[in-house]
Amino acid sequence: MHRFFLSLSRLMAILGGIVLTILILLIGISVLGRSLNTILHSGLAETVLGGMAQSLIDLGIGPINGDYELVEAGIAFSIFAFIPLTQITAGHATVDIFTNMLPRGVQALLGAIIEILFAAVLVMIAWQLYHGTIDKMDRGQTTFLLQFPVWWAYALSLTGATTAALVSLYTAYARVYQLFTGVTLITEEGADH
Amino acid sequence: MSNIEIGLYSFPILLLLIFLRVPIGLAMFSTGFVGLSMVTGSTDIPLAKMKSEAFTTFSSYSLSIVPMFLLMGHFATLGGMSQALFKAAEGWLGHRKGGVAMAAVGACAGFGAICGSSLATAATMSRVALPELRRYGYAGGFSTATLAAGGTLGILIPPSVVLVIYAILTEQNIAKLFLAAFIPGILAALGYMVAISVYVRLNPESAGIGPRMPYGERFRAMVDVWPVLLVFLVVVGGIYLGWFTPTEGAAIGAFGTGLIAWFAGGLTRKTLGESFFVTARSTAMIFFIVLGAAFYNGFLALTQVPQEAAAWVAGSGLSPIMVLVVILVFYLLLGCLMDSLSMILLTIPIFWPIVQELDFGMVTMVELQSARLSDLIATGAEIPAALLTEAQALLASGQELTREMTRELGLRGVSTGSLNRINVEQTAIWFGILVLIVVEVGLITPPVGMNLFVINAMDRKTPMVQTYKAVLYFVASDLVRVAILVAFPAITLVLLSW
Repeated sequence: MHRFFLSLSRLMAILGGIVLTILILLIGISVLGRSLNTILHSGLAETVLGGMAQSLIDLGIGPINGDYELVEAGIAFSIFAFIPLTQITAGHATVDIFTNMLPRGVQALLGAIIEILFAAVLVMIAWQLYHGTIDKMDRGQTTFLLQFPVWWAYALSLTGATTAALVSLYTAYARVYQLFTGVTLITEEGADH
Repeated sequence: MSNIEIGLYSFPILLLLIFLRVPIGLAMFSTGFVGLSMVTGSTDIPLAKMKSEAFTTFSSYSLSIVPMFLLMGHFATLGGMSQALFKAAEGWLGHRKGGVAMAAVGACAGFGAICGSSLATAATMSRVALPELRRYGYAGGFSTATLAAGGTLGILIPPSVVLVIYAILTEQNIAKLFLAAFIPGILAALGYMVAISVYVRLNPESAGIGPRMPYGERFRAMVDVWPVLLVFLVVVGGIYLGWFTPTEGAAIGAFGTGLIAWFAGGLTRKTLGESFFVTARSTAMIFFIVLGAAFYNGFLALTQVPQEAAAWVAGSGLSPIMVLVVILVFYLLLGCLMDSLSMILLTIPIFWPIVQELDFGMVTMVELQSARLSDLIATGAEIPAALLTEAQALLASGQELTREMTRELGLRGVSTGSLNRINVEQTAIWFGILVLIVVEVGLITPPVGMNLFVINAMDRKTPMVQTYKAVLYFVASDLVRVAILVAFPAITLVLLSW
C-alpha cells in the first residue's frame, strides 16, 4: 500500500513539474515574442522588413495573449500536485528540538494526532475547493482575456487537492499504525529549505 | 472575550502548537481557522473563505517565482556550476593561508547568485568543496562551519526566495529589494573571509595550503564560470532594468540554467525527475506555510491586533532604533528554532505595521527638496536666478523651502505625502535586508542552526561540537555586519538612489 501511495504522489509531482516546465517555456516564448515584436515594430525594421512583425504574430510568434492567466491557472495545479509528495515524505517544516526530548511513545502519539489533524484539514480543503469549483461553474465566470471558464482551473487543481487528501488519509493511518505496532511506514527525510 | 483578546491569545497558542512539532503551515492554518470561527461566531465564514482561498493563494502570478527559482537552483547544480565556481575561486585564493576555505565561501557567493535558497547552496557546495578541504588538511569542524556559513549567502545574494515572500507581504518592489541585497551580500562574503583568516591565524594547525596555480590556468578556470555570470546578469539585471517582470526573469533563469545543465550532460530523464521531486517538496512546504499564514493573518487583521500593536509602539515613546534592535534580537533568537521563511510569514504581518509607523529619518524634507531641485536644474528648466540662489541658500542652511517657493520653482510632488512614501519604502527595504540577515544568522547559530546539521551530516567523521566551535567566528562576523548595516542604512540603500 505504501508503494502505491508513494508512486501516486510521485506521479502527481512529475505532472506538476511538467506543467511548471510548460509554464516556464510559455513565459520564455512570450518574452522572446515581445522583444522581437518591439524590435520589428521599430521604425527601421518596419520600412526594411515591411509587415514582418504582423506575419510573425499571425504565425503565433509574439507576446502570448493572456500568458498571465495561463500561469495563474497552471501554477495552482502544480502546487496542489506537489502536496502529496511532501505529505508522504514528511517534508513539511517543523520545529522538533523540543519534542526530541520527549519519550518515543509520546512522540509517536503526537505524530499520530498531528497527522490526523493534517488529514482533516486537507480533506476539508479539497471538499471546499470542490464547492468552489461548483460555484464557479454555476456562475459561468470566465477569465478576462482568454475567456476560458474559471472552473476549469479550479477543477484541475481539485485533482491535486483530492490526491493530497487521499495521501494524507493514508499517512494518518500509517502514523496510527506506527503508534500501535511500532512499525515505521513513513521515513522522515527531513524538510528542505 | 473581545476580538483583541482572541487575537492576543492566539499567538502563544500558535507558538505552543509549533513547538509541539505541528508543521508550521498547519499550525497557522488551524489557529487561523479556529480564531476566525470565534471572531465571527460560527464556522460558516472560514469554510466559505476556503472555497476560493486555497486556490487563489496558490494561483498567484508573483508567487510562481518561488518554484521557478527552486528549479533553477537545482538545474544549476546539475549543470556542474558549483564545480566550475569552486575551481575558479580556488585558482585565485587556494594558495593562501586558509585560502581553500575562502574559495569555498567565494564559490558559495557565486552559486548564491543563481540559487535562491540557503540549504541548497550549502548542500551543493559541500559536495564539491568538502573533499577538497579535506585533501588540503583543513580541520573537519572548520570546513563544515565554513560551508554552513557560506550557504547563507545563497539567500542573501539575489535572487532570493525569502526576499520574494517579504516583498509580497510588504507590497514592495522585488527588483529594488534584490538590488539592495547586493552590497550586504558582498559584505557578508568578505566578512566570512575575514573570519576565516582570523580563525587560521589563531588555529594555524587547522588549515593547509593549496598549490599555487599559474595565471593561465586561473583565467581558464574563470572562463568556465561564464554561464553563471550570464544567467545572473540576465535574470537580476533584466528584472531591475524592467525588461521583464520578476516572474518572467525567474522563468528565463530556470530555462537558461536548464539549457546549461542539458549541454553539460547533467540533465537526463532521471535527474529531471529528481529535480521535480526536490522542487515539489520544497514548493509544497513553502506554499502550505503561505496558505496557513494567509489564513492566520486574515484572522489577525480582523482582530485589529497588528494595528493596535503598531499604535501602542508608536505612542510608547520608545526610540525607533530601540524598537528595531528589539525586533532584530527577537528574530535572532527565533531564528535558532525556526526556518527563515516560516519566521518571515509568521512575524512580518505583525512587525511591518509597527516598523512602518516609525520614523528612521531615511530622507528629510530638505534632502528630498534638494534632490528635486538639482533634478530640475539638470533638465535645464528656466529658473529666475534670484529665486534659485535663495532656494539653494535656504536648503544649504538645512531649512525647508516655503510653500510659495516650491510652487514658483515648480517642485511639484514634494509634499509631506511623497516624503512619507519614500521614507516608508526605504524603511521597508532596509528593514527587509536586516531581517533577512538576522534570520540567516539563526541558521548557523549553535546549538540548533539548521545549516549546521545539514552540513555536519555530510561529513560523518566530524563531531558536531567541532562545527559549533568554528562557526562562532562566522556568527561574530555576521553580528558585526548587522551592527554596521543598522548604523549606516546608506550601505543598503545606496544602489537604489542611482
